Amino acid sequence: MSVLARRDRALTPDETEALLRDRLGDGIVGATLAHRTFTLHVAPSAWVEVHRRCRDEDLLDMDLFDSLFGVDAGDDGFDVVTVLYSTSTGNRLCLRTRCEGGREAPVCPSVTDVYRGADWMERETWDMYGIEFPGHPGLEPRILTVENFEGWPLRKDFHLTSRVVKPWPGVKEPAELDEDGNVIEREAGVGDAPGPYALDEAMAKQALERRRAAEEALAAAAGNAAAVEVGDGPAADAPTSEPEGDA
Amino acid sequence: MSDLDTRERVLQGTAPGEGLAIELIGDGDLVTADMSLSIGPAHPATHGVFRIVFEMDGERIVRARPVIGYMHRGFEKLAEHRDYRQIMALVNRHDWLSGFANELGVALAVEQMLEMEVPERAQWIRMLMAEWNRVLNHLMFIGSYALELGAITPMFYAFREREDIQHLLEAATGGRLHFTYNQVGGVKIDLPAGFLRESERLVGVMRQRMPDYFDLVHGNEIFRGRTVNVGPLPVDVATSIGVTGPALQATGLAEDARVTEPYLQYDKVEVEVPVGANGDAFDRFDVLLRRIVASIDVIDQIHGHIGAGPVNQKLPKMVKAPEGWTYVRTENPLGQLGYWLESDGGRTPWRLKMRTPSFSNVQAIPYLVEGQLLADAISILGSVFFVVGDIDR
Repeated sequence: MSVLARRDRALTPDETEALLRDRLGDGIVGATLAHRTFTLHVAPSAWVEVHRRCRDEDLLDMDLFDSLFGVDAGDDGFDVVTVLYSTSTGNRLCLRTRCEGGREAPVCPSVTDVYRGADWMERETWDMYGIEFPGHPGLEPRILTVENFEGWPLRKDFHLTSRVVKPWPGVKEPAELDEDGNVIEREAGVGDAPGPYALDEAMAKQALERRRAAEEALAAAAGNAAAVEVGDGPAADAPTSEPEGDA
Repeated sequence: MSDLDTRERVLQGTAPGEGLAIELIGDGDLVTADMSLSIGPAHPATHGVFRIVFEMDGERIVRARPVIGYMHRGFEKLAEHRDYRQIMALVNRHDWLSGFANELGVALAVEQMLEMEVPERAQWIRMLMAEWNRVLNHLMFIGSYALELGAITPMFYAFREREDIQHLLEAATGGRLHFTYNQVGGVKIDLPAGFLRESERLVGVMRQRMPDYFDLVHGNEIFRGRTVNVGPLPVDVATSIGVTGPALQATGLAEDARVTEPYLQYDKVEVEVPVGANGDAFDRFDVLLRRIVASIDVIDQIHGHIGAGPVNQKLPKMVKAPEGWTYVRTENPLGQLGYWLESDGGRTPWRLKMRTPSFSNVQAIPYLVEGQLLADAISILGSVFFVVGDIDR
C-alpha cells in the first residue's frame, strides 16, 4: 500500500455520491460541494453503514479517519460531521448527519466499530454537546472538561462567562461626573500640568490656547448655523461593534 | 498459616554452611495481583500535564488509560466569540511548539472561503516560516526524547540550534513562540533586511551539524536497545485511529499533506517524505530526524523562489467569511492539523473545529503500550511526539 498509488483512479464527487446512493438508497439525503469541501448529508439510520462502505468499498478506500465532531444546528438540534480521507486516492469526504432527538436528547449511532479513532472523538463530542452515541464502549468520564462539570459547553445556549455583559461599576474616566451625576467641566490650568518642568508648563499653555481658539471658532460656527438653519449631521462612523469584554 | 509459620518452615532444617533450604510455596505460575499505576499529571515524561493510568501485571502493562483534559482551555468556544484577526492570536497557543503552522491553517481556511488570492511573495514567506517552525519543533523533540532515555547531550546541541533559529524568526515576527505573523490575505509585515541572508547561513549551519545528530542517535547502542522493536504500530491501525505525521510515516506510509494535497506553493518544490519500515519507536525518531533534513532542503529551494512583491493586501475593516463551511488541513510538525470552519456569514465563526494531530496520535498510546514492559512505556510515550496543549486545546 503506497501513498496516492491510485490517484488517477480517484472518483469525482459526483461519482462518489452516485456510488453511495446506489449502495445505500435513501440513506444519502443530499450533497454539497462548496469552498472546495465535498459533503454528503446522510440519514442517521444509514450513518454506520455509510462509514463501513466508505472504508470497505475498493473504489473509495477511505482508510484514514481524520475527525468526528459536532456542530450546533440551532433550533434543528445538532449535526455530527466526520471527515474521512483516502491515502491511496487522495480524496477527502465529509459526512454530515442531523442527530435524532432535537435539542433535548440528541442521539447519533457510534462508528467506533468501523474506525478506532472515533472512540475519543465521540467522547469529546458528548462532552461538548451532550450527544449520546449508542454503541460506544463508554462515553464517561468527561474527556476534556472536569468530571463534575455541568452543562454542554459548545452548545450555543451555553454562554461564555466572560462575555456576559456586566455594567462597569464606576465612570469610565475618573472625575467625569460628580456625585449628582453632573458632568464636571474643568479647564486645563497651567498649574495642572504634571511636573515642575518648563516644557510641561509651555505645553499646558499651548493646549489652553488651542482650546480657547477652538471654542471661539465653534461659537462663531454655531451662530452661522443658526442663521442658515442647518441641522446636526449624523455622527461620523459611529462604532457599531459590541463591547469587547476580555479581548 | 501465618507469615511467621511460613518463614519458620522455609528457614528451618539446614546445618550451618549449607545455605538455606528454600521451599517455593504454591505451584504453577507466580500469581500477582493487578496493580494500578498512575503516571502524571505532572511527570517529566509527559511534557506537560498529562496523566496515564497503567494496569500492571508485574512489570507488564495489561491496559493503559490516558487521562487528558488537564489543559483544556476551551479554544473552540473562545474562537466562536472572536473575529478572524483575533483568532490568529488564539490558535497559535494550542500547540506551543508550532505556533506559525497553527495560524497558517486558519488563514488558509478563511482565504479559501473568501476565494482570496494571496500575493505570491506572502505565500513563499509563509512556507519559509512554516519550515523553520518545523525544524524548531523537531529539534525540541530530538532533545527531549533523548533526555527521557537518559542521554543529556542532544538537548544541549538541539538548543544551540534552536536559539539561532529562534533569533531568525524573532527578527521577522517579534515573537519566540506565539508569532501571530499570519493574517488573512498574507503576512503582517515584510521580512527585515538581511533575513534571507541569515536564513541561508543557517541552512549551511544545519546541514553541517545534522550528521552529529545522526551519529548521536544511530551509533548509540543504548538508544537503539531502548527503541528498536519497541512499540511497533501497524499501518492499518495507525490510519484507523487517525495517526498522522512522523508516527504515520514511520509505519511506511508516505502521507504528507505538503505532497498529497499541496497548499501554498508546495507543488513548486521537491518535498522528500521520509518513511520507516517497522513503525517502532526507533523509526518514529529516525523519521523525525530525516524530516529536519527534508525541511532544510525545502528551505534551500524556497530561497531560490522568493521574489519581490506585496506581502499582504488591504482588507475590509471587518473580515466576514461567507455562509457555508470548509475544511483545510496542513502538515503541522506533529501531524496533520485540520480546521473545520463553519460560518453563518457573521464576523465570528459559527464553529471552528481544531483537528489536532496530538489528540489523534495520543489515542494510539493504549494500543502501543499494551503487553509492553513498564520501562518501555516511557520510550513509547516520548516517541509518539505530542504537545499536551495540542491534545486538550
